[in-house]
Amino acid sequence: MSERIGEIIEVYTTRFLAQADGLENPPHFGSFVKAESQGMAIYGLVYNVHETSIDPNRRAVAFGIERTELFKRQPQIAEFLKIEFEAAIIGFNDAGYIRAYLPPFPPRIHSFIYPCEKQEVLDLTEDLEFIRSINALPGLPVEELAAASIRLACSERGNDRAFLVRAGQEIAQLLKEEYEKARSIIRRISD
Amino acid sequence: MKDKAQEIGKLIAGSLLSGLEAKLNEDINVEGISVGRLIVVDGRENKFFCLLKDVSLEATNEDILLNPPSGDFARQVHAGVNTFYKLSVQPMLITAQNPTDLDRPRPSTTVPPHFSPVCEASAEDVSLIFGAPGITNPEIGSPIFMEVPVCLNLERFCKRSNAIFGKSGSGKSVLARMVLGYLIKSDMAINLVFDMHNEYGWSATNEGGIDDPSLKQLLGSKVAIFTVDSNSPLYRKIRADYDVQIPYGAVEIADLELAAGELGLTQAGIETMYRLADKWGEDKWLAKFLDMDTDEFPQVVEDLKVNEQALNKLRRCLDRLKKLPFIRKEVADDTVNRIMDFIQDGKHIVFQFGRYNSMLAYILVANILTRRLHKLYVDKTDSARADGVDGPKPLVVTIEEAHKFLDPQVARQTTFGTIAREMRKYNMVLLLIDQRPSGIDDEVLSQVGTRIIGDLGDERDINAVLTGLPNQGTLKVLINNLEPRQFLLTGFALPMPVVIDAKDYGKFCSEISLGSGIILDEIERRKTVDELKAQVYGDDQIIFD
Ligand SMILES: Nc1ncnc2c1ncn2[C@@H]1O[C@H](COP(=O)(O)OP(=O)(O)OP(=O)(O)O)[C@@H](O)[C@H]1O
Ligand SMILES: [Mg+2]
Repeated sequence: MSERIGEIIEVYTTRFLAQADGLENPPHFGSFVKAESQGMAIYGLVYNVHETSIDPNRRAVAFGIERTELFKRQPQIAEFLKIEFEAAIIGFNDAGYIRAYLPPFPPRIHSFIYPCEKQEVLDLTEDLEFIRSINALPGLPVEELAAASIRLACSERGNDRAFLVRAGQEIAQLLKEEYEKARSIIRRISD
Repeated sequence: MKDKAQEIGKLIAGSLLSGLEAKLNEDINVEGISVGRLIVVDGRENKFFCLLKDVSLEATNEDILLNPPSGDFARQVHAGVNTFYKLSVQPMLITAQNPTDLDRPRPSTTVPPHFSPVCEASAEDVSLIFGAPGITNPEIGSPIFMEVPVCLNLERFCKRSNAIFGKSGSGKSVLARMVLGYLIKSDMAINLVFDMHNEYGWSATNEGGIDDPSLKQLLGSKVAIFTVDSNSPLYRKIRADYDVQIPYGAVEIADLELAAGELGLTQAGIETMYRLADKWGEDKWLAKFLDMDTDEFPQVVEDLKVNEQALNKLRRCLDRLKKLPFIRKEVADDTVNRIMDFIQDGKHIVFQFGRYNSMLAYILVANILTRRLHKLYVDKTDSARADGVDGPKPLVVTIEEAHKFLDPQVARQTTFGTIAREMRKYNMVLLLIDQRPSGIDDEVLSQVGTRIIGDLGDERDINAVLTGLPNQGTLKVLINNLEPRQFLLTGFALPMPVVIDAKDYGKFCSEISLGSGIILDEIERRKTVDELKAQVYGDDQIIFD
């Protein structure tokens, strides 16, 4: 299994919030992650990454020194910062089968988060249902998220154009009442 | 030729009355789909044979039209979702999915269910509808974009008057020649062809300026050539079978009225003719009048109480008849009797005009002969009926420039109008060939059994050829899209309308002359002669004169 990248600190049926391990390698926007929980892998799509002070009552302040230089001079500052990320739940692994829909329950708090393996990304994105899932969740930057995740899934496929066309058609179909939205996503995935 | 029908779309809407609508499959190139094609919709229990009448661009929402996708990728992605192509097809016939030998396609009375596959007709479908080629069901072309025979049911064809319409150069005469050739070959009817432009006899000049063989050349002694101009150079190669002469006595005023335009006759002139005929006798006045010296006119004016000016004018008009030497005072033989002899012999007759191919000569000869022949046919049919025996042989009279004989002013009185209206009560029907169908009387048009319609530029002509037909909207679109040598066939001899590419004339020639015609005889004869010569003198070229 690949390197752990975080730990869950808040869950909802459709999404979870996790704290990243350290400050150095936060997950990418639009990347696929999984939580290991109750003997099951639950998959999420990262839609928000957030770096903040540990203490909600104390905000970070500007020092006017470049970040690496600052951490070198005052290492304790890094101790007061954390990275959190939010992921939309898009599927789970049920006894070896990847299901591209919501699991019966969300992962538990303190479950660990790992990046998805290549094969998992391929399986999760094959039927393009995840686009439908993220479109259904309120408050997500759907256009950007769909485009980013499709680009990623496409590069995992060695930039397969047929996949890109399929994804575009799925978007056109899903958003046929919202042509402008579909158009902006399609523009983002056609390079 | 692929046998498996290719699915091109799915049925999405429509009605029997206004036609069906299908969504084109995304993988089909819309530019390869053209109007006039034969389409089969595969219903659950039945196959529906349809004609493709329209292709349209559709969008599922307005926004995409206001803000069209740019770039190939976007177009490809929206295709089939936000944009699609709609096919409009008109159902015509229906047949069981697995027809037994007894099932014949019948007019469709219902529609197939939603999302039924829409396919291009396969070779099998076409032959199911139009039958297999045979001597009484000859192939006259193939559906556009297909290479499958479309056959004309000659038995049904001969039962009504028929027409071939199309503008100049559309291929009417060539197609007519093929239809006539098959009619002659099949012996379904005797043909009488008024051949205004010397195309149906020995040879016909094609676009390339080369002579194609024509009926006489192809069918040999089955075809007789009657001519009004036996001295024409045309007959150096092949002697005409009969020299047509018409006595003045046979010319009726109605004949001259029909040619009023060509003769320059006015209403006053026509009235004067009736006056003359009254006094001098219907069959004598013309000869007498043309013989008369103008000095004698004052006497006539006094005797008959006619207007002198009108009389002079009439004479100038009728003097044009003197330029037609085959219309004369005395004749050696009665042409109509001779025609009947040939008909009884089973021979087909082509009337030619040689150097006298003016409209005047054509109108007079065709009208005078047909009128007398029709009278004879009426008498013979009536007496045959009374005696309970077979009537005279069915006769098909072919006329080019048909509107000259059938314009609304005259169609009610002329023999051609009568023949067209009485269908085949007296075993006589017409084959009309014309480029100006709008000049033909509506009532005659609506009696036409089978219509063969080529490219027609003029809106009025298109409306005219559709007179009395169902599905005019569909047919109109098809006519608008015809190219030269393509024809829309519709009517009595066809189970459903179809757009065809006319058969290639060369193919027709080699097919029809098999086992008949003098070309073949000649080739055979020369071959033997040549072989003999070759034996004696060595190889030499065969030269046809
Ligand atoms: N089926 C065909 N096969 C081969 N050539 C053809 C065919 N149909 C038409 N053509 C060519 O097109 C030319 C014009 O055709 P055609 O003489 O039949 O026209 P049309 O409609 O009778 O015109 P018009 O009204 O001027 O008499 C012919 O001379 C011939 O060369
Ligand atoms: Mg012609």
